[in-house]
Amino acid sequence: MRAARRVLALVRKDLVLEWRGRDVLVPAGAFGLAVLLVLGLVSGGGPQDAPTLLWVSVLLASVLAAGRSAEREGEEGTLEVLLLYPGSREDLFWGRHLALCVLLGALALGLWAAQLFLFNAPARGWPAVLLAGTLATVGLSASGTLLAALLGHVRAGRLLLPLLFLPTSVPVLLAGVRLTEAAAAGTTLGPWWGVLVVFDLLFLLVGPVLFEVAVEG
Amino acid sequence: MRAFAMGATAALLALGLWLALRASPPDAYQGEYVRIMYVHVPAAVSSYAAAAVACVSGALYLWRRRSEYDAWARAGAELASLFAGLTLLTGMLWGKPVWGVWWAWDARLVSTAVLFLLYVGCLLVRDLSEDPVRGRRLAAALGVVAFLDVPLVHYSVVWFRTLHQGPSIRPGAVQMAPEFLAPLAVNVLAYLVLSGFLLVERARLARLEAER
Repeated sequence: MRAARRVLALVRKDLVLEWRGRDVLVPAGAFGLAVLLVLGLVSGGGPQDAPTLLWVSVLLASVLAAGRSAEREGEEGTLEVLLLYPGSREDLFWGRHLALCVLLGALALGLWAAQLFLFNAPARGWPAVLLAGTLATVGLSASGTLLAALLGHVRAGRLLLPLLFLPTSVPVLLAGVRLTEAAAAGTTLGPWWGVLVVFDLLFLLVGPVLFEVAVEG
Repeated sequence: MRAFAMGATAALLALGLWLALRASPPDAYQGEYVRIMYVHVPAAVSSYAAAAVACVSGALYLWRRRSEYDAWARAGAELASLFAGLTLLTGMLWGKPVWGVWWAWDARLVSTAVLFLLYVGCLLVRDLSEDPVRGRRLAAALGVVAFLDVPLVHYSVVWFRTLHQGPSIRPGAVQMAPEFLAPLAVNVLAYLVLSGFLLVERARLARLEAER
């Protein structure tokens, strides 16, 4: 119970900071939109390209959001203070992860709405896309939280985060694209749901354990 | 002991090379290009073995914090990136004459490239970390993440699209003529012995570096 309260307090802290500063969602959202526009222009912007461009923009914007979200805690020594509080360090992972989930969820939702207009894409099968987006957000947030924490005290950590985050997230990208295409076509693809669930479980299991290692002094 | 291990490794590699270049006949379809397989497949097997060493040693280091395990994890990560790079290079050399392209968007190629990139990242994190002790911890953690993620990447890209042929050797079903199988088996063994030798030597060097 205490752990849940600690986690909720951390989520609230991150979301209040974001509400006041808007230094994750606004830059990452604008970047995602820029990616959509540039890739749309290059590819011709047909509705058939929309799922691929949507998920690429979500993934690239997620790298920025995960990096900035972790960086904010390091800037004013917040992490050091949080580590002094009693309680498990896993709670820090869950707090940061859930807050990032909310931010990435909002980001993905905004980019999905934007691509409907930009590419004249069909909104058909939106519940399946929404579910795929939720599962992808949980996985990307868990892997992003872990990798950003691991790279927090590394020189050129900002450059290394995309190097590690993008190859790691290949399963989410492929599953997202295929499920969005299938939803638009009115079909279902069972194995791809499995890929998303396994990715989520993997990072939700190893994430808290390795996060403790990352934040150790 | 070290001289014996070095001699045995060199002898096995020389035997493997002789079998690959002289004893193995050319393939009916691929001609002389089949000989690239005798480096490509052993390098791929060695990269998986080295990645497994990096994962297990990394997990043991995080648990026990003994520098001995860190030396093995470092050696494993270096060899995993080296052999994954060699696998990519030989695969591309074989792909151009046989497939007609240097690179194809195929499951094996992409997952090997991901393996290579993740272990390069792992080595960079260790070297760029501000505090060496923290660098060892982070590299060990990334070694575990990389090893768990790569099978998932592999199977997801298998479903996405595939061009690379399926495995010719499965438990209970070998679809390869003995004149190709024997040189391949010797070369796989030779590369695994070479990996073991390099692993031991690199771990020894890492321990000496740590003591300095």
